[in-house]
Amino acid sequence: MSRWILDHIRAAHDAWKRTSDRLTQFVILVSLLGILLAIPGWLAQIWLGMVSLVPEDAVRSEAIVFLKQELDIEARIDLERALAEMPDIDQIIFVPRSAALEQLSAQDGLGPIADLKSNNPLPDAFRVKFSAQGVESRENQVVESLTSDQRIFALRYYPSTRIQYMSLVETLGFLGIGLSALTVIGVLMAVFLVAAADVVDDRRRIKLYTLLGAPRHFIRRPYLYRATLLGILAGLTACLVISLLNEVMSTTLASNLRALDRRLEDFPTDGRILIGVALTAILASWIGAERAVSRQLRALH
Amino acid sequence: MIEFESVAKVYDGRRRALSDVNFRLAPGEMAFLTGHSGAGKSTLLRLILGLETASSGTVRVAGADLSTLSGEKLARYRRRVGVVFQDPNLEEDLSVFDNVALPLRISGFNESEIPKRVKAALSRVDLSDQASASPHVLSGGQQQRVGIARAIVHRPALLVADEPTGNLDPELSARVMRMFTQFQQLGVTILVATHERAVVESLPFRRLVIENGTLISDGMGAN
Repeated sequence: MSRWILDHIRAAHDAWKRTSDRLTQFVILVSLLGILLAIPGWLAQIWLGMVSLVPEDAVRSEAIVFLKQELDIEARIDLERALAEMPDIDQIIFVPRSAALEQLSAQDGLGPIADLKSNNPLPDAFRVKFSAQGVESRENQVVESLTSDQRIFALRYYPSTRIQYMSLVETLGFLGIGLSALTVIGVLMAVFLVAAADVVDDRRRIKLYTLLGAPRHFIRRPYLYRATLLGILAGLTACLVISLLNEVMSTTLASNLRALDRRLEDFPTDGRILIGVALTAILASWIGAERAVSRQLRALH
Repeated sequence: MIEFESVAKVYDGRRRALSDVNFRLAPGEMAFLTGHSGAGKSTLLRLILGLETASSGTVRVAGADLSTLSGEKLARYRRRVGVVFQDPNLEEDLSVFDNVALPLRISGFNESEIPKRVKAALSRVDLSDQASASPHVLSGGQQQRVGIARAIVHRPALLVADEPTGNLDPELSARVMRMFTQFQQLGVTILVATHERAVVESLPFRRLVIENGTLISDGMGAN
């Protein structure tokens, strides 16, 4: 067997030996990291879950722009272009007065309106959809500038639920981001501290290996193997906690949604979150071990 | 083999550990480095092992200026040096065999070559029958001999020992010194740092005496 493989097998064995020697500490650390990392993961799961469930009109504002007079095709394109250049406008749909009359007459009790076809009192209109990321102030600016346009007769603005409750949404969003950042910092600190303590315990060993001429990668290897094991187990624990939380906490939500639409019966955990959380755990423990060993090696000189 | 030219070492810009140290140790020569605790012996050894760099002057080992070595070159240099510590620093998780084999594995020796070398090293220190034992079942003297076997297993050209008999009784100390003498006769350059006068005076080797960071005497032992 090649020397390289043998060295790696020995390092993995060494890492496992170290882990089993301090099994309680290791299990506590895995659980702590798993639970801490599950917090931002769960928040992200709620956010992504809600985004996929929220109806479009709750996140996108809309405006119906009634035109003062019938425009020729060139003038209409000109106005459409002017609308398209405005901030936060995502979609512009031209609704000719004949189509508006047809749609109106299709509604319950408004059938007789169809008789007005020859003397249609409705104006041509544009249906303007704002972007899902639109901001209240910018949408108001757009409404104001449209209202003052000479070509426009009237305008009806339907702000999205998101815009109506923007301040609450922002507060909750910032709280979520803040909480996630704090837990990630907590995770990093925990990993770094434990990795440092682990390496300090092995100071004598690191010095011996250095004096025997071991290259840095040789000294580091067992610690990195242990860090990888820690990261994988912590990541798996976090994924398990997120999935459990999702299963338990979303039961009521899922049953209500099922009543609205059977397609919403399943409320699955987002795979991207699980992958992200697992990678964060592995990366954090890797960086922790790498940093701790490097510091110890630097301290020797 | 070892050359110190006007070497000084100052810590934190003010604490002077070594001043103007000059000496040469020829290949195959054995010498004692003596002095009280804090005299500068450990600093001098750390310079030879590349754990420190001189504040001024030059430290050369086998022609190489140690201040120019770093990273992999420094590691390669250390693989050619044997080190014996006061505390043998054995890995408790490994058997005696694996402890002695450690420098060979670090140096990338072929696995088929390792048992032969380890057996030879263990037989030099009279521990052939303890190869499979765990270090914690050995006596202090035996542990020290395992440490010596580990230091010579890769047949270094230079052996540096820091208080190798510090934890041993006089009889064991004499035995360890006899081993060093045998290695020296095989052509190994040996520098032994010790503050034990009895050990130094019993052997006819060169004696470097250091005091307050200065080399105050360089001559042959009393016998």
